[in-house]
Amino acid sequence: MTNEAQRTQRISVAVLLTCLALSLICVVYPFYVIRPFRAQGARELPIALVVLRFRTAATLISGAAALAALVLYWRTQPGKWRRVFVTAGAAFVCVLAALARVNIYELMFHPDDRPSFAAASQTKLDKDEKVIAIKNGAVARAYPIRNISYHHVINDVLDKVGIVATY
Amino acid sequence: MWGRDVAGLRLTFHLAGINNQNFLMRDEQTGSYWQQISGKAVSGPLRGSQLPFVHSDELNFGTWQAEEPQGTVLQDAAAYRFGYARKDWDVRMQRAPTVIDFREHGLKARDLMLGIRAFGASRAFLYDQVIREKLVEDRVGAEPVLLVVGGDGQSVRAFRDRIPGVQGVPEFYRASGNQMGALLMDAATGSEWNFQGCAISGKIKGFCLEPVEVLKDYWFDWRNFNPATTVYGRK
Repeated sequence: MTNEAQRTQRISVAVLLTCLALSLICVVYPFYVIRPFRAQGARELPIALVVLRFRTAATLISGAAALAALVLYWRTQPGKWRRVFVTAGAAFVCVLAALARVNIYELMFHPDDRPSFAAASQTKLDKDEKVIAIKNGAVARAYPIRNISYHHVINDVLDKVGIVATY
Repeated sequence: MWGRDVAGLRLTFHLAGINNQNFLMRDEQTGSYWQQISGKAVSGPLRGSQLPFVHSDELNFGTWQAEEPQGTVLQDAAAYRFGYARKDWDVRMQRAPTVIDFREHGLKARDLMLGIRAFGASRAFLYDQVIREKLVEDRVGAEPVLLVVGGDGQSVRAFRDRIPGVQGVPEFYRASGNQMGALLMDAATGSEWNFQGCAISGKIKGFCLEPVEVLKDYWFDWRNFNPATTVYGRK
């Protein structure tokens, strides 16, 4: 093997490991910080949100770089098991790029984006059920808390005004 | 409750994270993250923006229906009905653990509070205490406010305690009966007032007090996002 080939292999592995580390941080760090029943620190939360903001692009670039490194490695490394090992690493970077597009909270909690309403007189709620009530001009609406505490977010329009009911 | 028309966009929100048990919303249009309790963007292209405030009340359904017989009610989404909470959801949640605690004013993390953020100040009222007292006359910052318990004994509204033409802070009393929805009387004009804060008799009949937003919240959450809050009846 020539010195040039060895150098290419070293660079390929270094690029792959860097991509792997970057992608892991992009996926794991926000999940670690922004998880339920854990106190979020004043410094770590903004960092986690910045990572969330840019991680889709960062992991896609990492995935592309990892695949490029894999191609270079295959061209210069004839060993079967080393090729398999590096291929697995590049595949893992691609999996992380896919995972970075998923927000676990958005999978778990379902907003009600097409809320439907019925007249109060036709609604079977107990008198002591709690509702969040709003009024805009002559239009009055009530959001039962047992419903909204499940969705947490209701994207709605009231008399042409966009509102979001939260609980 | 917030408006979602911001910067020329109509934003669509998803619950997308949590900040010490107060959730974060992400908008589809810009990817910005917004804090639920404050309506403020904390990250993303719209960071620093504020959602428009929309006044709302937390009421018993029976009370609301009596006030708004023509109103409409959000219906269950069939696909998710299995997951909906029981009607005593907030009481059951009082047993849930918290990740932060503020041992101040003799309050426990999950004590239910009525929080008011207005007039440049924030003040919290223990919900059970307000229910017991039925009428609270207090100040938020320098401004006098009234907290009034509805005829159902559970719903609470707050109002700015000012009546045009009346010098100083008007004094209110709880009306003895509940005829025609009268809950209060004021000493200055002798008017009767209903739970919507409107005079229903007397010389200023038809005048309505300015509503003040009240947020029913657990102490730990209110205190975390309102660190300068004072507490009614506590030092």
